[in-house]
Amino acid sequence: MTWQVWTVCQNKKCIQKSINTTKMKKFLITAILAIMPLSFFAQSAFDKYDGLEGVTAVIVNKKMFEMMGNVKSNDKEAQQYMNLVKKLDNLRVFVTSSPKVTSDMKLTSDKYLKSAALEELMRVNDGGKNIKIYVKSGGSSTRVKELLMFIEGGGKDETVLMSLKGDFDLNDVSALTDNLPGGDALKKGLKGPKGPKGPKGPK
Amino acid sequence: MKAMKKLAIVAALSLMLWSCNSEPTLQQYFVKNSESKDFIALDLTTDILRLNKSEISAEENAALETLKKMNILAYQADAKNPAKFEAERAKIKNILKNEKYQELIKVNSGKEGGAVYFVGEEDKIDEFVLFANKNDAGFAIVRVLGKNMSPNSIMTMLSVLNKANLDIEQLKPLQKMIPN
Repeated sequence: MTWQVWTVCQNKKCIQKSINTTKMKKFLITAILAIMPLSFFAQSAFDKYDGLEGVTAVIVNKKMFEMMGNVKSNDKEAQQYMNLVKKLDNLRVFVTSSPKVTSDMKLTSDKYLKSAALEELMRVNDGGKNIKIYVKSGGSSTRVKELLMFIEGGGKDETVLMSLKGDFDLNDVSALTDNLPGGDALKKGLKGPKGPKGPKGPK
Repeated sequence: MKAMKKLAIVAALSLMLWSCNSEPTLQQYFVKNSESKDFIALDLTTDILRLNKSEISAEENAALETLKKMNILAYQADAKNPAKFEAERAKIKNILKNEKYQELIKVNSGKEGGAVYFVGEEDKIDEFVLFANKNDAGFAIVRVLGKNMSPNSIMTMLSVLNKANLDIEQLKPLQKMIPN
């Protein structure tokens, strides 16, 4: 019996070998084409952290932003907030204190930065915390399609990976920074391109 | 002519039934499990707010009108039967995978998680679904049913909550869920 199976396998191998390279190429192209939309539409490279033990994930979808953007408000600051919110597609935040996941996140984000062609906006080392912010610009210098922030917290500090997608202005984000981890650093970085501004004023 | 009408009605009804049966819905899940002793079921209407009608503006009233009722179904995990908890939770997750339920926010820590979904269009929301679960504790699903709820009306409703004189008695069944 085992011998029979073995011969079949051998045959298969022979067949596989006989498949010419063009067919193989075709298969590869089809496979890539099949996977491509996944990487575009089926969320980001970081979704594997969703639901992982030891990782807290927060995911906010476009519909939520659209809905929030539709809420009328008389407050001016809130209005600015809403204007930004309307332009966002999704927000993902992953927080972990596990060193293992941290190193994995580092690896994944490094890979992602290369594949998605993100540029480094700034890098801060703040009290042992390593904060890196990357953007994918679209159009003008302050226009951004994607913002990725990675806070590597060695030891007791938590590691935070944040990805914000949409089509927004970096200056608008300053309205958000107070509510986000690493907001302070982000604010400092954002002030760079256009000088000190923002509704919040100095701290 | 009459026969035609009858036929049309029957056809429409059967179509409706068929569409209901095509896949499990939250409604079916609620109906099926609300009688079960493993679950705690609770139906609330806006009565629970015990609002003083004179204090409500027309706008607030209009917002409240879009809200019909709230159904809550909670399952308390049984330490002796973790498989059932997993099975029930998986069932709900499966139901919520339907495109009809559009995810708004999801929070997940591996051990516990929560998510908010809605049904309908952004400014004509028919239903909100809140799903919260925690390993070893259980899960709860809250359905907020309404008609053409809009983000604005929801904000208005929330502000009305401040005025409400909540009828705590109606929430009593849920106390069982909260460990002392």
